Amino acid sequence: MSKPALSSLHQALRKSFKTLENNQTVWKSVLAECSPLMVSLGNLAEQSRALSNVQISNTPLRDFPDLEDRLRFKLLQATDTVLGKLNEKMSSLQSVRDAISNQVSAVVQLFEQNTDSLDVLAVTERSATTPSIADMLEWLQDAERHYRQQYLLFGFVLGWVCVMLGVYCFSSTGVFRFLRRKTLLQTLRPDNISLLESAPKRWKSLESPSAEDCITDTLCKVSFFMESQ
Amino acid sequence: MEGESGDITVASGNRKCSAVTGSARKIKDNAADWHNLMLKWEKLNEDGFNIAANIVNIRLSQRNQQEPVDESSSPPSSYSPSSPPSDAAGGAAELRDECCKLQDIIDKMVVVVTKMERLMTSQQGIQDLEEFQFGPEGRKFPLFHTWNTNQFELSSGVLWEAFSQELKLKQTVLQELAHTSTSDLCMVYLSCWLHQPFIPNQTRLTLEALLLETGHRPL
Repeated sequence: MSKPALSSLHQALRKSFKTLENNQTVWKSVLAECSPLMVSLGNLAEQSRALSNVQISNTPLRDFPDLEDRLRFKLLQATDTVLGKLNEKMSSLQSVRDAISNQVSAVVQLFEQNTDSLDVLAVTERSATTPSIADMLEWLQDAERHYRQQYLLFGFVLGWVCVMLGVYCFSSTGVFRFLRRKTLLQTLRPDNISLLESAPKRWKSLESPSAEDCITDTLCKVSFFMESQ
Repeated sequence: MEGESGDITVASGNRKCSAVTGSARKIKDNAADWHNLMLKWEKLNEDGFNIAANIVNIRLSQRNQQEPVDESSSPPSSYSPSSPPSDAAGGAAELRDECCKLQDIIDKMVVVVTKMERLMTSQQGIQDLEEFQFGPEGRKFPLFHTWNTNQFELSSGVLWEAFSQELKLKQTVLQELAHTSTSDLCMVYLSCWLHQPFIPNQTRLTLEALLLETGHRPL
């Protein structure tokens, strides 16, 4: 009686691990593409800070009266382009997260529908090549949680970078000047631009290789199971 | 003289750009020249940026070397007095080489901008000729798609204005770059060189419009 349920559950698990495997590769490559973008964001922040530190009228560039505005505009434009690209990367990460989440919730749902026909023994039984259903479900849920959290974290950092940039860019033009009294913005004064320059490092530090290794481990553990039909 | 007969055939319906003559031919060639000159400028700008970055790096590393030497001149050190002068001399030679290279780039940029100025003058000449031929109203039918001759002259002017201003900025940067001691100002010079603040993105659009109008780009 539990035989068809078991085999359909196994089939769904195989499919989930396949999805996980494919998306792990995508995730890694997208993250690898983000790093140079974060570096150029840091560079642009550094250039903006240098421009603010320099009093153009005291330098040989004083013959170019609108230089500062023009250069700032160009820097903003370049920053905007980089942020746009990062945004695209975030959407790719989001689709990876969604693909994994959907797959995992589908398999968990299938398991819940079949709990009546599956006894504890069937759920926990394992062999040399096939891990138990309970273990595999747990691994899948762990992986799903990992990607969900990582995505949130990256989104948060990117949002924070945007806020910093916004506060930084507008504070010099006066738009934010009156808002700066507010406590939140007080903590984000433009001199915090140095924090922005460290954004690439922070970004790098968010990537958690150990968790990623766990997922690779999991995929190794189920490799025989995935091959068996 | 040749222009006159050519103008008539073009205006009377031969809109195929393959056989244009006279003013239209000249304007079309000018547009192609604009395109090539701007490409050349981009290339020069890229090369120049790498050289400028080298200059800044040499300059900053020199300063970093000098500062500790100045401070540590009182404590006895047997090897440091011998090594810095040779290093500094090497650095200076390297710096001079890089500055010469940058000067070279600027010289080439001057040539590019001079050619651009000639394009603009030639465009003015065409405009004058048109006025002479057709009166202040200009020709009744556009040479290509929609633009009248004045618009070609205007866009040439806009492009030339941008590049000549940018060239002045670059010349200033060249003069000052190797004499700048503050890293912030060096950074500003470099970002000026890289981002070309006097060449707004509209110049690219203007060029594209020119190419589109003259039929270099398919509609």
